[in-house]
Amino acid sequence: MVDLIVRPRAGETIDTDAAVRIRDLTVVYKTAAGELPAVSHANLTLRAGEITGLVGESGSGKSTLALSILNGVRAPGRISTGSVDVVNAGDVTTLAGAELRQVRGGTVGYVFQASQNSLNPLKTIGKQLLDLGRSHGVADPKSLIRRARELAEQMGMDADRVIMSHQHELSGGMRQRVGIIFALVLNAKVLILDEPTTALDMLSQAAVLEIVRQVHKERHLATLIVTHDMGVVAELADRLAVMYGGRLVEDGPALDVLRQPEHPYTAALIRAMPRIVGDTASARALPGRPPDLMTVPRRGCVFRDRCPLAMPKCADTEPQLVEWMPGRHRACYADLSDVTAFAAQPATSVGAAAQPTATATPEAGSDTVTEGAGQ
Amino acid sequence: MVIATADAIVDETEIVAPPASRVPLVIRVLFGRPTRAVATVILLLFALMAIIGPMLYPNNLRVDPEHIFAGPSAKHWLGTDYAGADVLAEILVGSRYVITSAIIAGILMVAIGTAVGLISGYYRGVAESGLMRITDFMLTLPSLPLLIVLSQKWKFGSPLMMGLILGITGWAFIARPIRSQALSLRERGFLEAARGLGLPARHVIWREILPNVAPFVAMNLLLSFIGSIYAQTGLFFLGAVPYSSTNWGVMLRQAVEGGALQASSAIAYLLAPMGCIMLINLCVVLLLDATDELFNPRLRG
Amino acid sequence: MIEAHGIRRTYHRRTLLGRTDVKALRGVDFELPNGGAISFIGESGCGKTTLGKILTGLESYDEGTLMIDGVDVAKTSGKKRARLFRQVQMIHQDPYSALNPTRTIRQILGDPLAMRASELGKPKSWIDERAAELLNLVGLDAEGVLPKYPHALSGGQRQRIVIARALTVDPEVLIADECVSMIDVSMRLGILKLLRDLRADLGISLMFITHDVATARYIGDGGELHVIYRGEVIERGPTDQVITEPVHPYTQCLLSAVPVMHGLEESGSDRLVPLATLDERVAADGCLFAPRCPFAQANCSTEHPTLMSYAGDDGHRHACFYPEPRRVVATELAV
Repeated sequence: MVDLIVRPRAGETIDTDAAVRIRDLTVVYKTAAGELPAVSHANLTLRAGEITGLVGESGSGKSTLALSILNGVRAPGRISTGSVDVVNAGDVTTLAGAELRQVRGGTVGYVFQASQNSLNPLKTIGKQLLDLGRSHGVADPKSLIRRARELAEQMGMDADRVIMSHQHELSGGMRQRVGIIFALVLNAKVLILDEPTTALDMLSQAAVLEIVRQVHKERHLATLIVTHDMGVVAELADRLAVMYGGRLVEDGPALDVLRQPEHPYTAALIRAMPRIVGDTASARALPGRPPDLMTVPRRGCVFRDRCPLAMPKCADTEPQLVEWMPGRHRACYADLSDVTAFAAQPATSVGAAAQPTATATPEAGSDTVTEGAGQ
Repeated sequence: MVIATADAIVDETEIVAPPASRVPLVIRVLFGRPTRAVATVILLLFALMAIIGPMLYPNNLRVDPEHIFAGPSAKHWLGTDYAGADVLAEILVGSRYVITSAIIAGILMVAIGTAVGLISGYYRGVAESGLMRITDFMLTLPSLPLLIVLSQKWKFGSPLMMGLILGITGWAFIARPIRSQALSLRERGFLEAARGLGLPARHVIWREILPNVAPFVAMNLLLSFIGSIYAQTGLFFLGAVPYSSTNWGVMLRQAVEGGALQASSAIAYLLAPMGCIMLINLCVVLLLDATDELFNPRLRG
Repeated sequence: MIEAHGIRRTYHRRTLLGRTDVKALRGVDFELPNGGAISFIGESGCGKTTLGKILTGLESYDEGTLMIDGVDVAKTSGKKRARLFRQVQMIHQDPYSALNPTRTIRQILGDPLAMRASELGKPKSWIDERAAELLNLVGLDAEGVLPKYPHALSGGQRQRIVIARALTVDPEVLIADECVSMIDVSMRLGILKLLRDLRADLGISLMFITHDVATARYIGDGGELHVIYRGEVIERGPTDQVITEPVHPYTQCLLSAVPVMHGLEESGSDRLVPLATLDERVAADGCLFAPRCPFAQANCSTEHPTLMSYAGDDGHRHACFYPEPRRVVATELAV
């Protein structure tokens, strides 16, 4: 099936650039307490030529959402409802086996978090490229090496050295770049990067982000960068999507979302970031902890216990993601003006407690960036 | 601006972790799974056998010259041996020696080996190299010839003797891996912190490092136990060590000597001790993964 | 509180092909006053972690003098030396491996507190009281946390416990080595402000080691920023001054790499990138940064610049023959 656009459903407007369309996606994980949702009714569209930043803390479900684009969620997790339409491939949630493998790498390139985990420590990079070619039925696997060399040179690396190296012989920044090469060498149209700069220092981070920008522009890709650090994508992203507790709570053009966030979580997150300029006294950490699979509230808005604008309505029904302005969505009951006022305040006692405290409940939640399932 | 209060939402944010169990940890771990429960029960039966077995029979087993190497029958459930004595009785009587000496050997091996491994893994310098040289020496000792030589000097009639000798010759195999584990833990943040805080060596070795290698130690205890059973059975079977009491190794030897391999009716005499050893082996192996759960707080939940 | 002069440390690696020496520190000087704060910024492998380990006594140094609380550590040994280094406590990067997984929080705090109790002649009951006091100080609920094992707590909570544990021995200096890099961005400020408050309330000196320049701004007023490159400090001065008016090209490259928040900030006009990636094998005849410096001149590869004052201001020093302030850091946009 050769689709150049993702076919719209009945009643939907045609979005000619949509490369990935996620509709009402729910991913659940099997736990001792039954099947719990890691991602709940997510709607997101990625367009060719656009870089989208998917921002969320640990446990927000962002990595799971990104993995669903590959249909890569494994047991004990599974996609329970929704669809993920990818250009040239249709709904990947219905694909399996050889068809799915073609999509992975061929249409969608995925760069994993801390790339060393996705590279085989026993084989050279060159050999792994050949393996990749073989598994995708590429007629001339050596052409992959040529393409990889071009990409490597473009990224400022010594191509010969990289092809002949094993993964432990390369630095963190180089491994990340090699990860990007693997994702693109089969001419994927969609590029997903999961925490691409977590283990890197500032200079390597800047270099990798610049490469992503270049490559994205040259190939007119639809790029998704998944990260917990909004700062990383603040400069690069065209669009910003914010996730919390498995839900998308806000999305829109990056510039607008940063300048005028319309969800209390987004506003609080921006305020909680250590920044190189600005008044240090006005920065305020978010109180409490982000929920994980076990502690996400089952009813009502997932953010309400940490939200300074919570109302009784928030505990009853979950707010839906609505388009309040063309191109901008939010899931919140608070008035727009209230959120803007909150965002503009310099320093307030936010939420239930000014100091984060350990809750008495036995959660094994995580607020670090290297946690596993349910993220 | 409304600030949500925590108590209004308590019933919604149900924490779905399983409730803490009242049953003691050991019981929960050992009987948690059917295979483990069965294995534990069988081992407990063998332990019981070891304790009361010899008490059930007189010192000299009644022989029945009419029925030498008889097969299993109603009177003799496992048949008879070369002298007509009941095989089942011999199994029960002989269990004490085997199991007691194996327990002693296992404990001794693991105690010495762990101590040497941890101390040489913690201290640098003379203590470390000294202990390592001793360990290497013990590793290179050929244990079989040594045991044969020693058996000329000492009688292995008592299980204590056997356990002692096996333990003293066998600890080196445990010391090395324990030392490696201790060394690799050294780099972990909490041990560096312990040094920085000035915590005494005694505390660090026994309270900080040991609990982290405990699963490995427990596993080795079980494996040493089985290993010792095989070692002594082998020794008696090969005739390398003169015997003066009833035990399973002796039974195996006498079975083979007495031509049990040819006379099919005497198969029971050969298989009975062998079967017991293999059964114990199997049960211990089934319990090996329980040790990790017992000592690793993360898995306990 | 801590005075370091000319600290050098070289690692020798012996292979079949000969010996390679890696110079981790090439002569570092600084003075950390009581209640003061110094941040060390640099790329990975620049030697800042080695410096932290030397200051806590976990590693030795080859040359130079290190004085803690007025005492030269080289002149002490055994128990006295251990006591001296105990005043300098390290907060590690990884909250997961920093706590013994087989011990409860009560035990983890209780072990050093028991030691302290016998030193100070306090009764056993003091241990639990002090543990609760410290946990409250770091913003945790003592009752909820004490009976737990580390794996039941989040990274941020664990890091707070690491800080509480460091405080059990009443240290004078806390060295935080990348202590928030493994924690979610939204929780980082909590830990940074905790360190700042400890410094303000208890007078503890802070040494902050990080690659993320932005975090260095939050550890309190009157702090100094030292920029390390390949084991050498190439620029140092008051934090805000170095950030807004950097004069060494390497500092400028580091600051240029900080992503700009479009919509809230405007990019600096003179942002730079280094010309090449770091290569450890380059010899050190002239300026170490010369091969990557966009502004290198002929003499930069032959002469080695040492720290000198900038524009007569001894508080702001740099090691560059051609220092030039450049606008590399973003500026805030009026919303």
